[in-house]
Amino acid sequence: MDDIILRLEGLTKRYGALTAVTDLDLEIYAGEILGFLGPNGAGKTTSINMMSGLLRPDDGRVILRGVPITVSSEEVRSRIGYCPQEVALWGRLNCAEQLQFMAMMHGLKRAKAREASHHLLETFELIESRGKQARKLSGGMQRRLNVAMSLVHDPDIVFLDEPEIGLDPQSRIMVREYIRGLAGSKTIILTTHNMDEADRLSDRVAIIDHGALIALGTPEELKRSIGAEDVLEIEVTSTPSDMTALQKRIEDLGCQVELAPSDGALFMRGREVISQLPSIVDTLNRTGLRFGEIRVRQTTLEDVFIHLTGRRLRE
Amino acid sequence: MRLVSIFLKSLKEQIRDPLTLSLSLAFAPFFVLLYGLFFPSESTAYSLLVLNHDAGAQIVDGSRQDYGEEILRAMAELAYADERQMLEIEIVDDRASAEQRLRDRDADALLVLPEALSQTIWEASQGRETAIAEVIFIGDLTSPKYLVAAVMANAVLDEHIHEATAQVRPITITEIPLGASAERSEFEIYVPGLIIFAVVMLIFQASMTIAREIESGTLRRLEFSRMKAFDYIGGTTLALLAIALIQVLLTFFTAEALNFRSQGALWLAVLIGALTALSIIGAGMIVACLSKSVSQAFIIANFPMALFMFFSGAIYPVHNPTLFTIGERTIGIFDTIPATHAVVAMNKVFTLGAGLGEIGYELGMLLMLSLLYFVAGIWLFRQTQLKSK
Repeated sequence: MDDIILRLEGLTKRYGALTAVTDLDLEIYAGEILGFLGPNGAGKTTSINMMSGLLRPDDGRVILRGVPITVSSEEVRSRIGYCPQEVALWGRLNCAEQLQFMAMMHGLKRAKAREASHHLLETFELIESRGKQARKLSGGMQRRLNVAMSLVHDPDIVFLDEPEIGLDPQSRIMVREYIRGLAGSKTIILTTHNMDEADRLSDRVAIIDHGALIALGTPEELKRSIGAEDVLEIEVTSTPSDMTALQKRIEDLGCQVELAPSDGALFMRGREVISQLPSIVDTLNRTGLRFGEIRVRQTTLEDVFIHLTGRRLRE
Repeated sequence: MRLVSIFLKSLKEQIRDPLTLSLSLAFAPFFVLLYGLFFPSESTAYSLLVLNHDAGAQIVDGSRQDYGEEILRAMAELAYADERQMLEIEIVDDRASAEQRLRDRDADALLVLPEALSQTIWEASQGRETAIAEVIFIGDLTSPKYLVAAVMANAVLDEHIHEATAQVRPITITEIPLGASAERSEFEIYVPGLIIFAVVMLIFQASMTIAREIESGTLRRLEFSRMKAFDYIGGTTLALLAIALIQVLLTFFTAEALNFRSQGALWLAVLIGALTALSIIGAGMIVACLSKSVSQAFIIANFPMALFMFFSGAIYPVHNPTLFTIGERTIGIFDTIPATHAVVAMNKVFTLGAGLGEIGYELGMLLMLSLLYFVAGIWLFRQTQLKSK
């Protein structure tokens, strides 16, 4: 994992007074799956556009295999595949035509394009529908074809933007397995809001907010980094009136906790929360808080994400 | 190679959307068909009502001379080269009802011959002093058909009086029709404009094709490929030009089936159509760049379509306020519309049988303006949609 394929050095992009990406440094290894996470408007798309050579950075540079890339470079495009979040297909072309056309746009000869198209149609189980126009495919089939289109020219680096969105469970498993299967031979940069997807697929996760990289590591490293292993999720009918006092009482039990009220629930994350559960319940009872079901779970990537980026809505 | 792939892809998409394509292709031929039904496809005959009060002249030998009748016979004999009558004469006896028919556009002109017409001419032919008889033309001066009918009838009347009175003319006036303009039917006059109208309709296809690519995200997908802006614009333009060509030919052959006779070469009309289409594609690109969706592109495209259609003179002649003059050429405000020059050039080819050399100015202006529109469209498209290219 020390073969760096893409290096971002001080990448910065400004739009007037707004700095969309600030001094972004990142090394991406060949063959890894990097989850690229961030709230809406955090700077993910701008970063990806700069990484793929679609957008010129105001400062900094992107180095692909040791060579700084420039906007409009054909060489860069031939090594990059991009799967947008929205289904981007030509409604009146059939599956095979779409793939062959895209392959030829990437410079493949007709015979090679046909071969690559056939291979992907088989891989994504679309071979039976190869002659069907895209507008007549089911939503799941369109999504699979959408992913396949980004791979038709056998790129080194693939940007996948929410690849599992709109997929039924069977298709999701199939696409997920395929992406996992690509790891090692291709570098995958995955942007998603589905933390479970990022957790399951990513070798490493980068979290970006306000245009800056705020965390980078394996999912396990990130979960450990917030210093907690257990999360208590308590269903409440009312929000505690004095959150600070409640937190102090629980900390007096010897638990280092972080309380976060949410819609009808109170999240309690901290060490020793499970061993101190009877005392915590007793404390909650004494404060007069009415509560229902209590669930215990391990810290997830979503907890890390919320911990780092906060609960404030961005849009 | 990529350009060819895009051309073929665009063509496939157009063909597989038969409803839009057929509507787009059939629109102008349908209009030609309507014009063919509404306007006579033979040389136009003008309807002249005559209120003949002429009492004739009593000649010394006892016989009568009826100049009014003679003049009306001469008018009725006026004919086009295809021997069709120029004036359809109808004798009426009530001026009020005749005027009402003019108001209703049921007739083109009313000629009133005075009671003393023959007597006055006779006296004048004998060299005697006589009171002046008054011949009256009545009609709607805003109607071009009145003007033509009145001029024709007046010419016959004038000629006859001169012959009868043996007056010597100090000058003679000869009318020479340009090309085949004398024999053109009213329907044929509209056809060149309708062919340009067919090309102008391409603006919907052009703007919606590109807007669809933007809206669906496929253009962004292509941005990540090795495709160049030239490939995309070139391939798409070729596909649209192919449609424009079919539109021009379909409209032309529909008109021909309805007795339209071209005096010039069809290839020149195709060339004019292709150059016009280039400007329409440019305008379509601008519309697509200003739209966020296909439906918005359709709505916005109506504005340039109406501008090109109504102010170019394609449908009816318009006053063209002068902007400036270069040498002997007056440049009007609507000369900035490529279709204006296309309509003039098309008229010259179809009606006057003009060749390439005779439409040089119009073709030059059309080429220059079309390139200007096309380049403006490409520039805006690249700036807003293909930033990385």
